[in-house]
Amino acid sequence: MGATDLAEGTLLDRLDRYGISRRRFLTYCSGLAATLALPPRYAKVIAQALETQQKPALIWLEFQDCAGNTESFLRARNPAVADIVLDLVSVDYHETIMAAAGHQAEASKEATIAAGGHLVVVEGSIPTKDGGVYCTIAGKTARQHLEEAAEGAAAVIAVGSCSSYGGIPAASPNPTGARSAESLVSGVPVINLPGCPANADNITATLAHFLTFGALPATDGEGRPLFAYGKRIHDNCERRAHFDAGQFVEEWGDDAHRKGWCLYRMGCKGPSTFHNCGSQRWNEGTNWPIGIGHGCVGCSEPGFWDTMTPFYDRLPRAAGFGVQTTADRIGVGVAVGTAALFGAHGVGKYVQRRRAAAGEAKATVAAAEADAGQELDSELEEN
Amino acid sequence: MTTDTDQAVGPAEPEEYVTVKVWDLPVRGIHWIIFGCVFVLSVTGFYIGNPAWATRGDTGFLMGNVLAIHRATAWIFIVMVIARIAWAFRGNEWSRWHHFIPVHKKRRGLARHTVEYYLFVRHDPPPVIGHNPIAGLTYTVLYLVFIAQIFTGLALMSLEEPGSWQDSVAGWVFNFWSIPGVRFFHHIVMWLVIGFVIHHVYSAVLMDHEEKSGVMSSIFGSHKRVPPGHK
Amino acid sequence: MPRVVVDPLTRIEGHLRIEAEVDGGVITDAWSSATMWRGIETILKGRDPRDAWYFTQRICGVCTTVHALASVRAVENALEIEPPLNAQLIRNLIGLSQYVQDHVVHFYHLHALDWVDIVSALDADPAATAELASSISDYPRSSPGHFAAVATRLTDFVSKGQLGPFTNGYWGHPAYSLPPEANLMAVSHYLDALEFQRDYIKIHAILGGKNPHLQSYLVGGTSATIDLNSQNAINTNTLVELRGLLKKGLEFVQQAYIPDLLAVAPFYLEWAGIGGGLGNFMSFGDFPLGAANPSKDPDNLFLERGVILGKDLSTVHPLDPFKIEEYVAHSWYDYEGGDGTSKAPFDGETSPNYTGPDPPYENLNTDEKYSWLKSPRYDDTPVEVGPLARMLVAFGSGNQKVVDAVSFVLETLGVGPEVLFSTLGRTAARGVEALVLAQQALDVLDQFQTNIAGGDTRTHNGERWEPNSWPEEAQGFGMHEAPRGSLSHWVTIKDEAIDQYQIVVPSTWNAGPRDGNGNRGAYESALLDTPIANPEQPLEILRTVHSFDPCMACAAH
Ligand code: HEM
Ligand code: HEM
Ligand code: NFV
Ligand code: SF4
Ligand code: SF4
Ligand code: F3S
Ligand SMILES: [Mg+2]
Repeated sequence: MGATDLAEGTLLDRLDRYGISRRRFLTYCSGLAATLALPPRYAKVIAQALETQQKPALIWLEFQDCAGNTESFLRARNPAVADIVLDLVSVDYHETIMAAAGHQAEASKEATIAAGGHLVVVEGSIPTKDGGVYCTIAGKTARQHLEEAAEGAAAVIAVGSCSSYGGIPAASPNPTGARSAESLVSGVPVINLPGCPANADNITATLAHFLTFGALPATDGEGRPLFAYGKRIHDNCERRAHFDAGQFVEEWGDDAHRKGWCLYRMGCKGPSTFHNCGSQRWNEGTNWPIGIGHGCVGCSEPGFWDTMTPFYDRLPRAAGFGVQTTADRIGVGVAVGTAALFGAHGVGKYVQRRRAAAGEAKATVAAAEADAGQELDSELEEN
Repeated sequence: MTTDTDQAVGPAEPEEYVTVKVWDLPVRGIHWIIFGCVFVLSVTGFYIGNPAWATRGDTGFLMGNVLAIHRATAWIFIVMVIARIAWAFRGNEWSRWHHFIPVHKKRRGLARHTVEYYLFVRHDPPPVIGHNPIAGLTYTVLYLVFIAQIFTGLALMSLEEPGSWQDSVAGWVFNFWSIPGVRFFHHIVMWLVIGFVIHHVYSAVLMDHEEKSGVMSSIFGSHKRVPPGHK
Repeated sequence: MPRVVVDPLTRIEGHLRIEAEVDGGVITDAWSSATMWRGIETILKGRDPRDAWYFTQRICGVCTTVHALASVRAVENALEIEPPLNAQLIRNLIGLSQYVQDHVVHFYHLHALDWVDIVSALDADPAATAELASSISDYPRSSPGHFAAVATRLTDFVSKGQLGPFTNGYWGHPAYSLPPEANLMAVSHYLDALEFQRDYIKIHAILGGKNPHLQSYLVGGTSATIDLNSQNAINTNTLVELRGLLKKGLEFVQQAYIPDLLAVAPFYLEWAGIGGGLGNFMSFGDFPLGAANPSKDPDNLFLERGVILGKDLSTVHPLDPFKIEEYVAHSWYDYEGGDGTSKAPFDGETSPNYTGPDPPYENLNTDEKYSWLKSPRYDDTPVEVGPLARMLVAFGSGNQKVVDAVSFVLETLGVGPEVLFSTLGRTAARGVEALVLAQQALDVLDQFQTNIAGGDTRTHNGERWEPNSWPEEAQGFGMHEAPRGSLSHWVTIKDEAIDQYQIVVPSTWNAGPRDGNGNRGAYESALLDTPIANPEQPLEILRTVHSFDPCMACAAH
């Protein structure tokens, strides 16, 4: 569904498209006034407002999440969260902040879904193992909630790495079969705002982009908006000059660390991470991870829980070689191993030929090989 | 496992050997330029991977320079790898592609001979002038590794500039593989290449010393001394 | 009789379901269920223990930071690493500001709507509201003009007909008893608190890079460095900024939070007799005054450690961490050797086995297993944890600052300490605690500055940073009093990797299901005897459950 559908037309037009009559609409308004315990005169006011309103409805779904993205959203500066919630969009469902509970909460959500054209924000991954029993709300699985809410939605915005890519619940061994929103939604545009959590600035900017330009912003190959994920941490890092100069922190708290040198050797994943933390920074531009002297861990990259760990080493470990087996350890092993093997063979050949030449061809191959191995080993040790 | 110590025991005495011009200038030139490139790429790559030497003063632009050298060398390396592949279709008999991939029946027979020779089953080396088929295959694998290294290098380069041609050529790999995974691969391939070079040089030196076929000098000066009748 | 089911129980973190039996207008039995599980304990297995804090911090984005702290303490305890004093003080500053933040957000954004009828605020007179506000506090935004502006904004909002997050609240419920002016004042402070929490938490950005989910923890200390002559370390700029923010926090608590609490409480004094629950309380205590890990040195803490049993404030029992065990009798997990037994965290197991109804479902089978929470017990006894428990333990231990603050609130309300054992008491204790800790944060900043002035700028102890300096096998636990209560992480490290990781969480203590002996947890027992005016609109359930400030992402992890 085109995002412009949402920007165009009043609620009444939209309801009309869903086959809801004006009479039913007015009944709804007086019902609304009643649920709000408003004096009856409000029914008319509401009806008037609803007929002309342009405020898009938003449903914020939380699944296997930690509410970190909600908290991040609460730190929004421009516009502030109060302005967003009161003036820009109608947040009709958000478990962490909404007044209603239980079936009344679900009813509010269902009404919005029925009207269609709404935005769906997803926070947290969706478990799919064992029929999705690892996350149920009001007795229904997360997956069912997501599928229902996406039906007729204008767009789905996945906030945070959990809903974008599965996040921590999907980290090996992914005990609940956790998946991303995108992998379970079809027919609706999905945008990913990864990060752990997503930066409030990027959430509000995406909403603002949608409201201002009537469409979702352009994205990269991982479904992330380019305005926030189009450039690497490393290419926008305040410590980059120290990287280029070869000035590195070598131990936590050393002189280089105090001076703000590059964290590359401490495992910084800035060179492998697309995010705008360095330019946008966090909490109204106050600071960011590298600003406090800790490497980036790549929290906006797919699967970073498995691909960027261990956090304090630049490169991942080879699977199945034990936790402390680095690329260099394997590499040196490979190089030395090859040298030993081929070297041994060469020496074996030499021995074989000498014996053949001296008429000692009976010497066994095994003996030759063993000799060769020993000779080579001692030679390697000397070096 | 294979080896390229293919110039081995011959039935004839060294005095009877004939001198053949095996490696033409492009082969030798490319060989030594690639050698230089791999050396520089490995030294710089090692520093990029483990910049253990931290600059203390304000004089350095060490990492920046090392990266620039790695990149500049990478371009030469890429051109040379392409040139050698092209030469496999234009060069003399011994630089042709079918010496690297044993498609002809005769080469396959020689391959079997070579394997048996390597496995200490036969005493007589395969009667070849250029590479034996197994050595050729080894170089083929080496070239595939080079291509993978070039590919992952371009992919890593594309990170700096999404939308660049490097991105179009190699950036798609990140749809299947994490960025650190690609880095890890690029890093560990350095060690594989170092492993190859160690054995390659070790056996060349050894065989040259043993067989006196001039294999060592051949890669400098093009000529090899081989028993008559070798192909 | 059909059960009253509240699912989702909103305005909390996470997915909580309450089922209650209501008879004769009161709750006769209740079941608390967490309906989401991620398996973070399982995911930690085999990983580098130095990474664990970053993983566990993701247990919760509301009480962000607390699991990171418990985790580094556990690993440091296992590997016998003592971080420098500065690191300890920075961690204290982060933790204390988290409390103020968490409590303010809970009071205004998660709990207030249980007591404040937003719709009634439409009828308020701005001038009278200003008068009310000025009479209780010198909070600056209290002019008639200010309240008129808020009233206009609210009216505009409501008349647009899209109530957004306020849709379908229990507005007009008979249990709402504040006058319109008090409601308008609360709405105004609701909005102010939204701004406050955003600004105040910059403390975390300054000391942790970002919030939520700070990124300055390290096993052995912190990645924040101190250098008064560097732009890239904690310097005088930072210290001045921190002081400003900490002061703002204290002011907001003094001028808004506490006065609001004291203004609202008299209208709801009947809630001082409802929702008491277990009467057993536990606190790990926290905020070390020196450098030592509180897992090792429980005596040098700003908030005391101890256990209170049977509402007896005269005896604070010493606490033994090894008396903590968890049941899974009614939890969707299996224990090797039978589900009726309890296990200490070092021997803990997390093997999920869902046996509940197939979704979509109407009711849980509460006779069997019905929650993703385990049931933690202390010495086989259910205990309540959280602000009330902490304040009671500190009060009982004679902590002068706590005694003063508690007495001030009780005297102002004209009630005795017995009212503390209630829903209202829990909510009041949280406010009292915010006050004490907002002040303490400034004291810690003083201590921090004094220490720096003395020439100590160390922030990390790297002696055992490299894994090859670790023993083949090590075990440790990290204790932290998180805003919602006593938190402990238990780690076993083998061959440089995590072999076993167990997390015992505050909200698990409170929200857990019945244990192997059939004993209820804190929520379930606090809900007993709660009056329910209208089972269709169980506002009263929200009040009592919210008074605990539930966090289910934490609880189930
Ligand atoms: C980076 C280092 C090196 C690489 C990648 C490399 C690679 C190769 C390749 C691909 C060939 C096949 C030639 C062709 O047909 O294109 C070759 C042949 C040869 N290389 Fe190297 N080489 C390296 C270093 C050296 C060094 C240092 C020496 C001797 C000191 C050497 C001696 C030889 C010799 C003697 C041959 C011809 C032997 C034969 O036919 O198998 N190479 N090398
Ligand atoms: C034999 C050939 C090569 C070797 C041995 C080699 C080695 C390395 C090594 C060890 C690294 C460090 C990886 C890490 O630990 O992150 C590296 C990085 C890199 N290499 Fe290569 N490399 C080779 C060829 C190439 C080529 C052909 C290209 C480009 C087309 C290339 C481009 C790069 C780039 C862009 C980086 C990343 C630099 C950064 O992270 O800023 N390399 N190389
Ligand atoms: N329960 C809990 Fe937490 C806290 N406080 C932590 O351990 O909330 Ni998310
Ligand atoms: S992405 Fe991070 S912050 Fe967001 S829900 Fe997941 S764990 Fe929490
Ligand atoms: S700190 Fe990290 S992101 Fe910044 S320059 Fe160094 S490696 Fe790159
Ligand atoms: S860890 Fe995440 S917050 Fe930014 S600096 Fe790195 S992407
Ligand atoms: Mg646990």
